[in-house]
Amino acid sequence: MNLIREIWQSIVRRDPLSTDKGKTELVFLNVWLHIHPAKVKKENLKFRHTFYLGFITFFLFLILVTTGIALMCYYRPYPPQAYQDMKDLHFVVFMGPFLRNMHRWAAHGMVVCVFLHMCRVFYTGSYKKPRQFNWVIGVMLLLLTLGLSFTGYLLPWDQLAYWAITVGTNIGSYAPLIGGQLRELLLGGHSVGEGALIRFYVLHVAVLPAAMILLTIVHFWRVRKDGGLSRPIWKLKDKNEELVTIGAPAQAAPLQAAAASKDKTYGLMEVVSGKPIFETVTAEEEEDTVFSYPYAFVREAVVLMATVTTIMTMSLFLNAPLEELANPAKTPNPAKAPWYFLGLQELVSHSAFLGGVVAPALMVLALLAIPYLDRNPSRRLGDRKWLLWIFTIFVVANLALIVVGTFFRGPGWALVPPWVHVVGGAE
Amino acid sequence: MERRLQQIFFALSFLALVLILAAAWQANTPSWKIYQHNFLQLEAQEEPNAITKAAVLATPPEIHQVLLPGLQRVDRCTTCHLGVEDPTMKNAPEPFRYHENLGPHVPAKFGCTICHGGQGLATDKESAHGKVDFWPNPLLSKEYIRASCGRCHKEGEVPGVPELTEGRHLFETQGCRGCHKLNGVGGSIGPDLTGEGASRRSPDWLERHFLTPNAVSAGSAMPNFHFTKEQARDLTYYMLSLTNEEMGSYFSSLRLIPSPEYGRQLFVEKNCIACHSIGGVGAKTAPDLLGVTKRHSIEWLDEQLVNPELVYPGSAMPEYDLETNARKALVAFMASATPEDAQAILSRKARTMTPEEIAIEAGKQNFARFGCVGCHGTELQGGVANPNAQGGEVPSLLHLADDYTKDEVLAIIRNGRVPPLDNANGPTPPLYMPSWKKVLSDEDINRIADYLWSKQQKQKDAW
Repeated sequence: MNLIREIWQSIVRRDPLSTDKGKTELVFLNVWLHIHPAKVKKENLKFRHTFYLGFITFFLFLILVTTGIALMCYYRPYPPQAYQDMKDLHFVVFMGPFLRNMHRWAAHGMVVCVFLHMCRVFYTGSYKKPRQFNWVIGVMLLLLTLGLSFTGYLLPWDQLAYWAITVGTNIGSYAPLIGGQLRELLLGGHSVGEGALIRFYVLHVAVLPAAMILLTIVHFWRVRKDGGLSRPIWKLKDKNEELVTIGAPAQAAPLQAAAASKDKTYGLMEVVSGKPIFETVTAEEEEDTVFSYPYAFVREAVVLMATVTTIMTMSLFLNAPLEELANPAKTPNPAKAPWYFLGLQELVSHSAFLGGVVAPALMVLALLAIPYLDRNPSRRLGDRKWLLWIFTIFVVANLALIVVGTFFRGPGWALVPPWVHVVGGAE
Repeated sequence: MERRLQQIFFALSFLALVLILAAAWQANTPSWKIYQHNFLQLEAQEEPNAITKAAVLATPPEIHQVLLPGLQRVDRCTTCHLGVEDPTMKNAPEPFRYHENLGPHVPAKFGCTICHGGQGLATDKESAHGKVDFWPNPLLSKEYIRASCGRCHKEGEVPGVPELTEGRHLFETQGCRGCHKLNGVGGSIGPDLTGEGASRRSPDWLERHFLTPNAVSAGSAMPNFHFTKEQARDLTYYMLSLTNEEMGSYFSSLRLIPSPEYGRQLFVEKNCIACHSIGGVGAKTAPDLLGVTKRHSIEWLDEQLVNPELVYPGSAMPEYDLETNARKALVAFMASATPEDAQAILSRKARTMTPEEIAIEAGKQNFARFGCVGCHGTELQGGVANPNAQGGEVPSLLHLADDYTKDEVLAIIRNGRVPPLDNANGPTPPLYMPSWKKVLSDEDINRIADYLWSKQQKQKDAW
């Protein structure tokens, strides 16, 4: 009995969770949980502030890593075995279809949730000082998500994959000077073939996930270091209230540098001085905080399970598509890029250079520059009407282009409503 | 609120567990297990006592598959079609019935899909029979199944499938190659037919297409050849047999087909003619082989090939270390071998023709083989409709020499030509003369010209 207690105590060193000290230590002493603060503001737990979209995205990524590793056990990245492995997964691997469906739907879900998360952060003005750089990291994570989804799209090696990647990489090749070379570097040749498959595989299972994990760590770290979650806009005080953003309050006396005593050793806590970054630090706010355990953790756990069960339910009833074996000699009409690039393809159909190069480059640059161009410190919706309109138009235009590209484009990229069946389109 | 959230968490966790179990249950109850269970019950009925019955019923379910690595095929059909190789299942209900008349084509070595089509990788009925989206080869219907013989038996007459022989003959004599490429040779006006048997088109589509090309693909440039129903069917058989996959060579590389052709190859390879003769043609040091299969039993011949000295003490015949199928093939060849075969093997053909005759004959053969006859006609009469080309049809070649020199004709064959338009603003005529310089050697082209001129002469004399 004593031995069991000893083992338990060697693992869990904290005080019982019934005490405040125990609740604090649960966070501090645990490597996985200590990215959380020990106490969080109540208002930041509100669902209607963040919709937990960042968490959902992260949990989808966890599902993708787990199912992805399992899928790697059944996949050979060279044609045509790659396609045969897909069929085997579907027909003979135990729970194979479920596994692949989960990976597929979680991947699509992640693209959607990353985008929604970005919109949330924009509309709440949470990219503003001091969080500018974390927005930049977020945009990179969006690009990485698209890259992961795009590289994964080729791996089944069916007609859908082959032509989507052919179209997708063709869009990239419209870039002036380097476009062609860039495409060749990515494909390992002039067209999508064995070389492209192995390169996309390496990017998909090693390079991009590694970059994703590293940047995600930075992203989370910066959330804490930039002052935690932004406060909900409905809690913002009046315009003139001074916000304390970096270091000590502005009116505080400057830090005194004292001569170090020769016979004293210093811990890290004593060297770093000043208060941590908070947007507003006032005495009454102390009362608005609660311990992360259980308030934050139980909410995160609910979101995790909601995400997992949603993906599982979808995977049980909806099968991921798998078309014929890739055939370079047989172009489907129309050949379409993955859905999240169909807005781009729609633009390209009007002008290859403007739509394929200028528009996406401007989009990414504009996204990266938003926190630095927007000098207005106010996060209130009423103070940022113009920018909100511009961003809304950007989002709606993107969605509209994707909808048109996905549902309204038929053979020869002609405008065909989805309810009209085109006869002989496949011939 | 907090209590409610905890309850939701536990409810969702329970739901996740249920979903995983549901997925596992779904994965664990595929339809093929039900078929195997039914088959075992069928088998158990025959068992005399309870113990063996129970033993049969206790057989664990498993996927059966035939791997054809050289063809990138895996056939799992026998997972459900469990009785195909079991003669006692002759009257069993499908999918368990015995497959009669297979001859040497045992499913264990040939799989099923190379003849039947369908999706060998699949393990449920709909997908396996290929009648689903995104699978190009559904099961061939009974009516057309024999066309598949031609996928391996690419040459000569296929026993029991006269349609194939006739289809091939039509293809090579009606000039189909003029527009269609097959195995790298032919024109590019129509689609390449090399893998036609693996395309999505149904036999029904093909047959209607041969009868009236425009009926199934509107605006097709293909002329109506006025084939009879039988001819359309023969051609359909031939089309269905066309495949990119090297099936015949795969199986003969595995030495699975003891065909007379393979036997003949071996006969040449091993230089049997150096000692033996057939009907008096060949060397006389060893027995004549004409009718040898009638004088001795198959078993005797087989034994003789394995170990000549054992059958004939003192025999000078060496041991050739031949495989079972190679020996069968040799015997099959000997059963059909004639003195002419021996002559051909010995001499590799030498005919008595003048050099001019040879050139003209070769030209004539090229003219048919490369499909010129498709548009210009077997008698050079032309006349195939070609809207908006001058004269509205493909020109006759019988009066060439009146308008062109031989060099000009050679240039037209080499470089091709778009026909002059009837109405300059009208549509481009569907048919044109393709460029042949990449397909035919200069020598071949010269011979075709020789052939054309041989025909001109007669016309001029008559005129």
